[in-house]
Amino acid sequence: MRWLRSATAVAMLLGEDVARSERFVAPAVLYAGFLAILFGGAPGPLPEPWAASALLLYPVGAWLAHAVAETEDDTARTVTLSAAGGPLPVVVGGFLAATAGIAALGLVAVVWGVIATWGTATTGGLLAGLLAHLACGITGSAVGTVFARPLFRSQGVALVAALTFLVVTGTSSWLPPVGTAAASLGSERGGGLGPFGDLVLALLVAVAALALVAGVEQGRFAAWRERWAAMLDRARSRG
Amino acid sequence: MRLVGIHHTYASGTAALRGVDLDVDAGVPTVVRGGNGAGKSTLLRIAAGAETPTAGTVEDRPAVVGYLPDRFPARLRLPPRRWLDHMARVRRLDPDVVADRADGLLEELGYTGDDDEPMSELSKGNTQKIGLVQALACEPGLLVLDEPWSGLDDDAADALTALLASRTGAVLITDHTGTAHGLPGARVHRLRQGRLATAADPESVPLPTAPPPGAMMRIDMACAGDPRPLLERVLPPARVEGAAPGRFTVRVPAPDSDAWLAAALAAGCAVRSVRPVRPGQDSNRLPMPPGPGRSEEVPR
Repeated sequence: MRWLRSATAVAMLLGEDVARSERFVAPAVLYAGFLAILFGGAPGPLPEPWAASALLLYPVGAWLAHAVAETEDDTARTVTLSAAGGPLPVVVGGFLAATAGIAALGLVAVVWGVIATWGTATTGGLLAGLLAHLACGITGSAVGTVFARPLFRSQGVALVAALTFLVVTGTSSWLPPVGTAAASLGSERGGGLGPFGDLVLALLVAVAALALVAGVEQGRFAAWRERWAAMLDRARSRG
Repeated sequence: MRLVGIHHTYASGTAALRGVDLDVDAGVPTVVRGGNGAGKSTLLRIAAGAETPTAGTVEDRPAVVGYLPDRFPARLRLPPRRWLDHMARVRRLDPDVVADRADGLLEELGYTGDDDEPMSELSKGNTQKIGLVQALACEPGLLVLDEPWSGLDDDAADALTALLASRTGAVLITDHTGTAHGLPGARVHRLRQGRLATAADPESVPLPTAPPPGAMMRIDMACAGDPRPLLERVLPPARVEGAAPGRFTVRVPAPDSDAWLAAALAAGCAVRSVRPVRPGQDSNRLPMPPGPGRSEEVPR
């Protein structure tokens, strides 16, 4: 597990770089503004308002993870890759930095909710709220890591693909982990995998996403990519 | 460390490397030369572990690799020492120990930049020095340097040459300035059309089968005493480029060079170097004698 030490160090490096680049400001301000609207009016009793703030943490997490993955200059990234000993620690490090960000934002949402609707939170509701925020944010970070360098070289294509993916998966309330995690706080309480189940599933999704990204950069799935490129060529020549 | 059968094709479909085999041994620097776009930087990225080749393997890469890319980025936001600390941690090293070594190296290289400003505020030379120190201060088992002398002032360039000359670990360098050739025991390889010319595999580079018509060889010889009587009376005719007591240089047509050398050796001379004359090269210039231990093949 020596690469995990490198991954933590990469997370610190990328985290500081993103903090200095101020690319985190837009998603963070967006989220804070949304929380102000959500808890500023007359929010219902907890945990129902958290359904909205947890759901929004899904695209915000993707945005943050994308910003972290793209923060380094291309050449600087080759130095980081060489020092870390390969793509896995670098990809995992970026994901960890984004996850730290969504954890902070999620904590803000939970604490703000508790204060704004003082007295309506139960211990179980508090735990469910925390876990749902984490599940949504972690899944978002995983999605943002996929729709960024090195899988997508074009920022425009990455943005369109990510937005489509986020809207489709984020609006399906039956779809675990994000849809069910948000829905379980709202009207459809009690169904789905439960708060722990959603978080575990979110972590599994993240592991799969990181393995995919690191694997592609390590040159695995090369045969699949060639087949895919050939298919695109054929489609283009027909059209 | 060894690179075995490295092929690399970019996503655009351009083939950069077509089957490169290269041994990078500790003790002597390995220098890769080649024209622009020959694939040198790609080869170095692969050797440093920053890129995965399309095919082929890198065997026995040391745990700690120091890598300096070509065109070291000018837009880094972190201040230099923060970045060095982060890179030490990424390498799983103690940042304090590395920072002490980095201080010494920065002083040797004559670094004059600010420590608190972002690296984007540094001059090109100072940025290059930070990049070099990043690669050197971790005491790497393998040092991969892409054009390390670029942007350095004369003093820093000399300091870097001295640092590299005293290194015992494996070093892989590309260099346009020609300084790397002078490093003690440097092994020079040429990268052309994605392939390496090495002594072990002379077929790897598409050389012309016969020397082109009019090709000349420049022959540098040592002899006892004044070479003039020897050149005028004993040896076959040749164009004399330079002569001094104990030494002379001639140009002979490539097909006659073997016979000429045999005659010169029979007359008691010693060979200092035999090199092809590049077409269009200034014919009046006395060639520099090669450094000791330099291994450059003589194409026949």
